[in-house]
Amino acid sequence: MIFVCAGFAGCTSPQSALDPAGTEAETVATLFWVMLVGAILIWLAVIGLSVFATRIRPKAYGETAGLRLIVWGGCVFPVVVLTALLVWGLQMMPPMRAEANGPTIAVSGERFWWRVAYGVEGEPGVSKTLPEGGTPSANEIWLPAGQRTELLLGSPDVIHSLWVPSIAGKMDAIPGRVNRLVVEPTKPGVYNGVCAEFCGDAHAQMALRVVVVPADEYEAYVARQGAPASVETGNAGFRAFMQNGCDACHAVRGTGAAGEVGPDLTHLASRRTIAAATLPMSRDNLAEFIGFTHRVKPGVQMPSYGMLAEEEIAAIAGWLETLQ
Amino acid sequence: MSDVTLDRSATRWAGKRDDDDVPAELNFGNVPPASTRNQEDPEVRAGQEARLRHVWAEPKGWRYWSAVNNTEVGLWYTATSFAFMLFAGVLGLMIRVQLAAPDNDFLTASFYNQVYTLHGTVMMFLFAVPIFEAVAIILLPQMLGARDLPFPRLSAFGYWCFLIGGVFVCGSIFFGAAPEGGWFMYPPLTTQERFSPGYGADIWLLGLSFIEVASIAAAVELIVGTLKCRPPGMRLNLMPLYAWYVLVVAGMILFAFPPLIAGDILFELERLFNWPFFDPERGGDPMLWQHLFWIFGHPEVYIVFLPAIALLAMIVPTFARRPIVGYSFIVLAAVGTGFLSFGLWVHHMFATGLPAISLGFFSAASEAVAIPTAVQIFVFVATLLAGRVIYSVPMLFVSGALAIFVIGGLTGVMVALAPFDWQAHDTYFVVGHLHYVLIGGMLFPVVAGVYYFWPMMGGRRLSDKLGKIAFWLMFVGFNTAFLPMHWSGLVGMPRRVWTYPADIGLDLPNLVSSVGAFVFAAGFVTVVWDVLRPRNGEPYADRNTWNAGTLEWLAEVPDEAWGVRSVPIVTSRYPLWEQKNLMADVDMGRFYMPDAEEGKRETMVTSVLDAEPVQCLRVPGPTFMTFWAAIFLGAVFILATFHLWTLTLATAVLATGAILVWLWRGTALQPEKDEKDVGLGLKLPLYASGPKSVGWWAMFITMTGDATAFVSLVFGYFFYFTVSPVFPPPMMAGEEIGPGLAWPLVALALFAASWLAAIFARNTNKAASLGTARLLMGAGALLSLAASAAILWGPYVTGLVPTVHVYPATVWVLAIWTACHGAAGALMLAYCLARSLAGRMTPTHDIDIVNVALYWHFMAGTALVTVATIALFPLAV
Amino acid sequence: MATGNKTRDTLWTLIAAPTIWAVHFALSYGSVAYGCAPNENVFADIGGFRIFVGGLTVVALVGIGFIFARALGEWRGNGGRMPHDEDTAAVRERFLEFSTVLLAGLSFIAVIYTALPVALMADCR
Repeated sequence: MIFVCAGFAGCTSPQSALDPAGTEAETVATLFWVMLVGAILIWLAVIGLSVFATRIRPKAYGETAGLRLIVWGGCVFPVVVLTALLVWGLQMMPPMRAEANGPTIAVSGERFWWRVAYGVEGEPGVSKTLPEGGTPSANEIWLPAGQRTELLLGSPDVIHSLWVPSIAGKMDAIPGRVNRLVVEPTKPGVYNGVCAEFCGDAHAQMALRVVVVPADEYEAYVARQGAPASVETGNAGFRAFMQNGCDACHAVRGTGAAGEVGPDLTHLASRRTIAAATLPMSRDNLAEFIGFTHRVKPGVQMPSYGMLAEEEIAAIAGWLETLQ
Repeated sequence: MSDVTLDRSATRWAGKRDDDDVPAELNFGNVPPASTRNQEDPEVRAGQEARLRHVWAEPKGWRYWSAVNNTEVGLWYTATSFAFMLFAGVLGLMIRVQLAAPDNDFLTASFYNQVYTLHGTVMMFLFAVPIFEAVAIILLPQMLGARDLPFPRLSAFGYWCFLIGGVFVCGSIFFGAAPEGGWFMYPPLTTQERFSPGYGADIWLLGLSFIEVASIAAAVELIVGTLKCRPPGMRLNLMPLYAWYVLVVAGMILFAFPPLIAGDILFELERLFNWPFFDPERGGDPMLWQHLFWIFGHPEVYIVFLPAIALLAMIVPTFARRPIVGYSFIVLAAVGTGFLSFGLWVHHMFATGLPAISLGFFSAASEAVAIPTAVQIFVFVATLLAGRVIYSVPMLFVSGALAIFVIGGLTGVMVALAPFDWQAHDTYFVVGHLHYVLIGGMLFPVVAGVYYFWPMMGGRRLSDKLGKIAFWLMFVGFNTAFLPMHWSGLVGMPRRVWTYPADIGLDLPNLVSSVGAFVFAAGFVTVVWDVLRPRNGEPYADRNTWNAGTLEWLAEVPDEAWGVRSVPIVTSRYPLWEQKNLMADVDMGRFYMPDAEEGKRETMVTSVLDAEPVQCLRVPGPTFMTFWAAIFLGAVFILATFHLWTLTLATAVLATGAILVWLWRGTALQPEKDEKDVGLGLKLPLYASGPKSVGWWAMFITMTGDATAFVSLVFGYFFYFTVSPVFPPPMMAGEEIGPGLAWPLVALALFAASWLAAIFARNTNKAASLGTARLLMGAGALLSLAASAAILWGPYVTGLVPTVHVYPATVWVLAIWTACHGAAGALMLAYCLARSLAGRMTPTHDIDIVNVALYWHFMAGTALVTVATIALFPLAV
Repeated sequence: MATGNKTRDTLWTLIAAPTIWAVHFALSYGSVAYGCAPNENVFADIGGFRIFVGGLTVVALVGIGFIFARALGEWRGNGGRMPHDEDTAAVRERFLEFSTVLLAGLSFIAVIYTALPVALMADCR
């Protein structure tokens, strides 16, 4: 199977369901390759037969031959194949949703980014919202390799869907419900995730990164994220950040900024991307996003700060870049 | 001459104007019955033909648009559907241009969202479903040797609704006001003003609700047409397969569209009046919309697919030069698919977090439905195998359809498994899959149908050369465009993205798809050109040019408006192959109804199982009333979109008035005599009421659809009961809320009384106690109005506020539904009273009150279920 | 109209078997959805509902089996033979019987399919 895939670009992609790095994705990839081979054979047989009957040997084979074909090809064969496939597919589901043995992470899909909270306690269900608490972060989910992590998914606004193709299938984040997605990444690495349910103008730019690391590294990471920012608050960048009201929406723990509407920026610079994986993290990109917000990500909720002086934007970007 | 005068007033009833010129030589009203005449006499036949031609002639000049005959309405319907399809096709090409390269900025995000939403919406609601109705309206009567469908004006009304609603929805994009929530419009994105400001979602909702009305009208028409308007002798086992499919599909529409209408009602109440059906903060749940939408949405795929397969079932035998192999198997497949397709809806919701065991049921049904689908494919292959195939352009498109559809079916088997769907769902894999299913299962068969049936419609064959070019462009272009999408999806491309980043392997497959899309479009444009190009001087095609075996090929070239010269007796499945001299006998008028002696449009009604003649049905002729009814009803929906309430109410009154005028003048007409000789010594009644009449069946079928919508609303109530921790919710500590017990029970008692009044009115009218009957009709109407007031008074007086929580909103919606139906029931009884007073309804001619009594059975059930749900159920839990 | 059988087949008898499937399907899904609501304690066993669906399945299969046997018996017993394209009420009857047999077969398989998830899964995860 891997041989089939080797010829194509998408097979070694951080965003491909056919380049699995998790148990769930792997199970499904195997299922797919088996079904694909079966499908190709069936298609060739059906179309081959009709071409044979009409083009290669166009003669009247008689009604009995036809009826036999309907009974065996149209009834018996599908029943046998479909029954086997159905049983295989059904018994695949409970293990894919088995109990977790790793951490529980709350992931909230919001227009148009992902709010993440590590180490929460809660249950899935209807008529409820995501559990509070945990270590806040955004747009990047770290996962311990080899453990079954439970992701609790919810949303305060519209329906989103978390999809990290290399790790597992998708699960919707629905307002008023808490859904549960259990993932078991196997290969450390960095993978792309996207929003798979249309959620508005910036739907296409509501992505995230998933970083799979060994379990001990995961613990260390969460501990680092939990700590307040160790950052200078006396410089021009921070002043501009506060003066222009960035703190109304964003929190930088350890400073006065405590907004809860947008992503927590306490450790912004430790992330690989900004604006929900729209641009790579860099000072220039930060400045571009602040100055040309809606050009970079049309439809995003954050207002554009293009009216600020270039130096002011540069100062904010420079300060943000120190939020390690 | 007195006969002629009498006849003139009757034609006015039938919707013609008084000043219609009736040439005296036609001698309407004075012609001896068909059985007594010598059909071999050319003079007799010439007279008959002149009369038939006059009666069935399409109106001239601007009055052409008042036509209601299936030929004209079907043609408009088809042309309009294709026009919408081309519009949506251009939108599709815009999508492909935008996605041809990563980070492209050909369209803005917002405009892209409008474009893809309209592409899907128009293709599904304004092309895929209407084209079925359009083609069926043209073909079904022809295949059944009928002169028209039983309710021509209903078809015309449906067409005008479709046109108005479609133009309204499509036009919105030119004002940048098109809906942008995707063709399935998931709330809360689409219901809450903060996420979707403007009128887009309202336009979608109200425009399409209006069109859904048209679809249900067509379904009623087609079911009655198939069951009751077959030619004498065409038993169920001899019905053309197309008719079987039409029957199944129309039945599916009846159960699939009403849940969506129920969903639309909830949706629009939330948008317009802030009733929180889908707002979780006030007890609502966005998942209810998904259930209601997909209970409609999945059967809809089969509603689109089966009629196209039905075309294949007509084309394949013709070119295989033999009857279909496995007729019963096709019936099994059509009926089986019709049922199973209602157990698939949650496979669109596999990723919504429902328990795996629940998903399992839908995986199971989704796999099961592949069995009847496989049967259909193999029936065609078997027929090709058993016959001696002649190749031609229609067959080319048939082969293409099979090759494409089988891929779509196989990927369908894949996505039916929930674990695989968790990866494939909402990605380009699904986009690829659905286009393989719809284009292979619908567009290619329809184009095959265009090439096959065009000689019948247009009198000439389409070009073989252009057809082949078109086919190869379409086939190669289609596969180039859509096969790579499966790949893009699995390597990580979600659907409904207006752009995608470079470097993750999506550039090449998208570019290839875009190129393919244009090749495909070029192919389709070739077909359009072939149809539209001027072909003066080209010779007419032979009659029955493909040498087919079914009755639609009796059509003369060039076409005659009367449909069939005489209504044949059918004794086989392929009458033109198996019944000697059939065409000549039909043409010579040797069968039934070779004449229009009284100058009326007539068609034959037969029994369901064995098609024994039961009635000579007078069908109404041209009118503008249906046009006005559609205009006013359309205005109601359009004005409501823009919150112009006074005007909305005013047009609602006008629409009701127009419909009443239409019914008053054009339905339940009393014939001038009880029975008539239709030829071959057969005398048939001209009037029938009760289960023997087509109108009774139409009422029954319509009310079945209506009841389905009602059940969907009740389902909503119990859905909220299931998902809410406590339902009805405790609004204040220790205080119970609800509509109370007293008023709902009063309402129920009053509804029961008016139900009994309707039944006794029917019985006393039949027994010729006109005074009692009229009294009962009047009393029933008043009681029903009182009942409607009482059912609303309950929630009002107990202070239920629908905007506070989903519970009061749900109670209100059920109460309002019942009250509206009560008001309609009152109107119907008052209408019967007026008919009785005007002498248009008598003890022997009582269609009106019999149908209204039938309505009241459903009404009584509705009232009972509503009261049991809103008043009694909370006591039981 | 001598059609030579006990039951007169109509369009209603034709759709009896798939209707049983539909009722079985709706009750199975409805009961399990109710049993799992509000999807909180997802690993709790829902044995009672599984037994209910199991019983329902037996009833449905017996019903469909009866329809199958009845239609097949009457079809065979009266010399039913494809392709059922003759112009008599008896052949129309044979045609409806044979189609009923086929639909009952499909419904039988579909009911078994519907019962599979309940056989293979024990909780609401």
